[in-house]
Amino acid sequence: MIKAVMVMNTQGKPRLAKFYEYLPVEKQQELIRRVFAVLCGRAENVSNFIEAESIFGPDSRLVYKHFATLYFVFVFDSSENELAVLDLIQVFVETLDKCFKNVCELDIVFNYSKEMTLLENIFWIHTILDEIIFGGQVLETSSAEVMKAVEEISKLEAASNAITLIPKSASGWRSR
Amino acid sequence: MAMHGMRGLSIFISDIRNCQNKEQERLRVDKELGNVRTRFKNEKGLTPYEKKKYVWKMLYIYMLGYDVDFGHMEAVSLISAPKYPEKQVGYVVTSCLLNENHDFLRLAINTVRNDIIGRNETFQCLALTMVGNIGGTEFAESLAPDVQKLLLSSSCRPLVRKKAALCLLRLYRKNPDVVNVDGWADRMAQLLDERDLGVLTSSMSLLVALVSNNHEAYWTCLPKCVKILERLARNQDVPQEYTYYGIPSPWLQVKSMRVLQYFPTIEDPNTRRTLFEVLQRMLMGTDVVKNVNKNNASHAVLFEALAFVMHLDAEKEMMSQCVALLGKFIAVREPNIRYLGLENMTRMLMVTDVQEIIKRHQAQIITSLKDPDIRYVDVILQLIDKAGDFISNDVWFRVVQFVTNNDDLQPYAAAKVKEYLDKPAVHETMVKVSAYILGEYSHLLARRTGCSPKEIFSILHEKLPTVSTTTIPILLSAYAKILMHTQPPDQELQNQIWAIFNKYESCIDAEIQQRAVEYFALSRKGAALMDILAEMPKFPERQSSLIKKAEDSEVDTAEQSAIKLRAQQQTSNALVVTDQRPANGATPSVPVSQLSLVKVPSMISAEDHTSTNQALSEENGTLRKVDPQPPSADLLGDLLGPLAIEGPPGATVRSEHNAVSRLEGGLDAVDGSAIVPVEEQTNTVQPIGNIAERFHALCLKDSGVLYEDPYIQIGIKAEWRAHHGCLVLFLGNKNTAPLISVQALILPPAHLKMELSLVPDTIPPRAQVQCPLEVVNLWPSRDVAVLDFSYKFGTYMANVKLRLPAVLNKFLQPIPVSAEEFFPQWRSLSGPPLKLQEVVRGVRPMPLPEMANLLYSFWLMICPGLDPNPNNLVASTTFYSENTRAMLCLIRIETDPADRTQLRITLASGDPTLTFELKEFIKEQMVSMPTAPQAPAAAPPVPPAAQPTPQAPQIPANDPASLLADLL
Repeated sequence: MIKAVMVMNTQGKPRLAKFYEYLPVEKQQELIRRVFAVLCGRAENVSNFIEAESIFGPDSRLVYKHFATLYFVFVFDSSENELAVLDLIQVFVETLDKCFKNVCELDIVFNYSKEMTLLENIFWIHTILDEIIFGGQVLETSSAEVMKAVEEISKLEAASNAITLIPKSASGWRSR
Repeated sequence: MAMHGMRGLSIFISDIRNCQNKEQERLRVDKELGNVRTRFKNEKGLTPYEKKKYVWKMLYIYMLGYDVDFGHMEAVSLISAPKYPEKQVGYVVTSCLLNENHDFLRLAINTVRNDIIGRNETFQCLALTMVGNIGGTEFAESLAPDVQKLLLSSSCRPLVRKKAALCLLRLYRKNPDVVNVDGWADRMAQLLDERDLGVLTSSMSLLVALVSNNHEAYWTCLPKCVKILERLARNQDVPQEYTYYGIPSPWLQVKSMRVLQYFPTIEDPNTRRTLFEVLQRMLMGTDVVKNVNKNNASHAVLFEALAFVMHLDAEKEMMSQCVALLGKFIAVREPNIRYLGLENMTRMLMVTDVQEIIKRHQAQIITSLKDPDIRYVDVILQLIDKAGDFISNDVWFRVVQFVTNNDDLQPYAAAKVKEYLDKPAVHETMVKVSAYILGEYSHLLARRTGCSPKEIFSILHEKLPTVSTTTIPILLSAYAKILMHTQPPDQELQNQIWAIFNKYESCIDAEIQQRAVEYFALSRKGAALMDILAEMPKFPERQSSLIKKAEDSEVDTAEQSAIKLRAQQQTSNALVVTDQRPANGATPSVPVSQLSLVKVPSMISAEDHTSTNQALSEENGTLRKVDPQPPSADLLGDLLGPLAIEGPPGATVRSEHNAVSRLEGGLDAVDGSAIVPVEEQTNTVQPIGNIAERFHALCLKDSGVLYEDPYIQIGIKAEWRAHHGCLVLFLGNKNTAPLISVQALILPPAHLKMELSLVPDTIPPRAQVQCPLEVVNLWPSRDVAVLDFSYKFGTYMANVKLRLPAVLNKFLQPIPVSAEEFFPQWRSLSGPPLKLQEVVRGVRPMPLPEMANLLYSFWLMICPGLDPNPNNLVASTTFYSENTRAMLCLIRIETDPADRTQLRITLASGDPTLTFELKEFIKEQMVSMPTAPQAPAAAPPVPPAAQPTPQAPQIPANDPASLLADLL
């Protein structure tokens, strides 16, 4: 199962943290810090996998992807296939990319100048994640299906006077 | 969402952003939390909209990393709000802030249930998601049937059903009884016919959990999973949106194979055939492409297929195909594929029969150790942590080299080893590597909490009482370095460390003593210390000794095993203490044993014994069963008094040995190493194979079996460099019961400095323990070191004395010399004692090429063309010892074609002892060869462990660490 999803920027500031096994907040923060300490020491030309038992306890591995100024980190156990989890990060990122307009630096999504937009963004990112991972299990792997589900929610939102998401098609991001 | 108009929230966020530091932020958050708390407490009847406003604030605070321990009730109550936005916020915030142990959650069960059984799909989704993330046992009990209904309902949309599948998985984890429903397995099988890949993927995850717990119940699902694989991998029957970079849903393929791996076997021939066809397609059809994402996806499937093939125990051909693929992967540039390739190779090792194939990739595996990935340090530290006993010094030396040469790694490695030291039990090898790394690099961590010089010092120093004398010097160096790095100096730390140096100034171990004295003196020099104790320079890029070792072992296996027994010409100087006791020690109460001192040859040919030394000649072979409560130890103790032969191995033995030598001074210059008690025994455990032959074989090669009996196999692997040698003893327990009271004592001759690492007291069943033995050759001598080895199995004690193949020729290195170099040397060494000549008779007749081969097998380089007489051989070699350093030896052997049983040998070198010893050594090789058991002597060279033979100790199949270590 997937134990946790974390997004943090290259300065170590957490942008999103979701733990699928209950952990007190302080513990969560500590884990994020330790993960960052490991990530920032890694060179570009190394693998995306890290044995994470010293941080997350027995049977834990970590896979990460580095996009622009953000690290996307998934923690999981041996019941998952490493490369498949890496693919899932890609699905998550691609979906985010499609959902947010005019984003070339995803970090901006998390750091919007308007306070309300920030919260909205956080909300939508959670919503998207919930459509991909459900209770630590892969729920949906098709970015198109995730988009559909999110759009539905967004329509309901619109009905109650909120923002709408304008899907954007082509992606200008490059993964490394 | 509708957050517009929440002005207070907006201001709060903006305030938070303007905070200069964490402290300010905390104050602002505390203030806001107080605010919200008051609102919740005082203002009864908040509207859902107001509640939502505050709940959002709480969520924001929570996301900043603060605990929000109130307002849960308000969050939960929003779930029952009639309007979508409030309900949604309620569900989302509840999922974030609460966990299954919160009482408030119980209050929501009814509302949640209503949403699940209601008609509103959006509400269903919200409810399922919340339960799927934080649902507990009570949810499992009350909601499982409803969730099952949603999953199986044909009228429900896939969006809801896939969530229901995973929600059910969560409930199943909380209470496995939720699937104890009649016919549930059949329903699962039906679910696998689902066309929608989203629902299918979720159902497959559910099935993985169910099957992992009880595969028996789900046999009917097996063929369906195979069908799904067929559909995806062979027929590519997948809607466009589920094709990921051209690969038909890699996740579903992977999950299906995971499910199948939980079934112990797949017997149905049709299913098996289909499956192998599909797997074959996967194995063949994957190439490394440019697109990273496509690569990842296709290899996700491929690696799963590899694991599956291993699980299925496929035919050897398919296995070889897998190994070949892995061999390809570990050589690609893409680091992820390389990483997983290596990891899967390790798993592959546990499958029988493929080790040999994998060995072909050894060079590549070893090259991978140079990967810039920090995983090397991680993996090796983990290896040391979990299997420290199996790690030879070379492995941790390599870690040090690696870290020293990679600046980026230094702080990481320092932090990492510190983590290991914080553990309650730490392997001694870990202490060594940690002490080294922390000594060099802990100052890079100084700003981190818990990493001040003082703290690092105390963590290290805690370990000192637990370590052996070989580790203490490393700790002392670390202390000196820490002290040097502590700027400005810390008086207290300095006093502490000086006190330790003072304490060890009188240590009996010369290495420790020297370091203590020197560091103490150096550390008083102040600034000058900086230069002397500066960081170690980068290691030159040279061949790693591990690679060297691997290559050597390759050579060994190729080496022909022209193994000849050597006999002894000379009566040697060995002293043997015999303890003739009544058979079986049947009368232990009567300690009357006759002790006699007998002279026997130190190297005994089994064929060459006289009646007197018959019993003794088994010195190097007979395993004695000793009664569990024998008085013999005491007797021996009485005789040898202060010598305490039974004492621990290592440095102490050396000093004892000196004592022995002194004692023996009067007894005809006896070599203390050969003091062995020989007892008359009837019930001996028969060794397997001829021990003398094994020893002689090992004199010519560097790895093989030294000793074997039905319970234990002792293998040796050695590496020689100049006057240094590193032998590794592989102690393999062949039993299903542990071998206990294991003791290995080295009795070195005077010219060898030997240090055996800690030998564990117990060897677990079917385990193999590696004990490195460091050897330093001090001067030329033909004396032989003895390993006094004993263990207990059951109530019996076994004891055996084995000669160790740290013999003269191991310190030779063949060197070709030209005529221009040879003749001036030869002439300048004009006569005795530097040049000795002797006519030898009774030589075993052999053709000249065979003699040349024989000489070469002892590392004497034949120099053809130097002697005009074709019946003569000229050879040269370099001998290494601490006293002589590298010394050239020149040899000339003149043979008589008319009489092959005699020859004349002339030997010249710059050291009289060397000249004599080497001449005698060669003579021994030429003169007497074994007459009887030639055939068994030609036993194949068996490098211990890496190459299992029928007699080899079973490699613990479940210990990848040792397997990997062996492979490396």
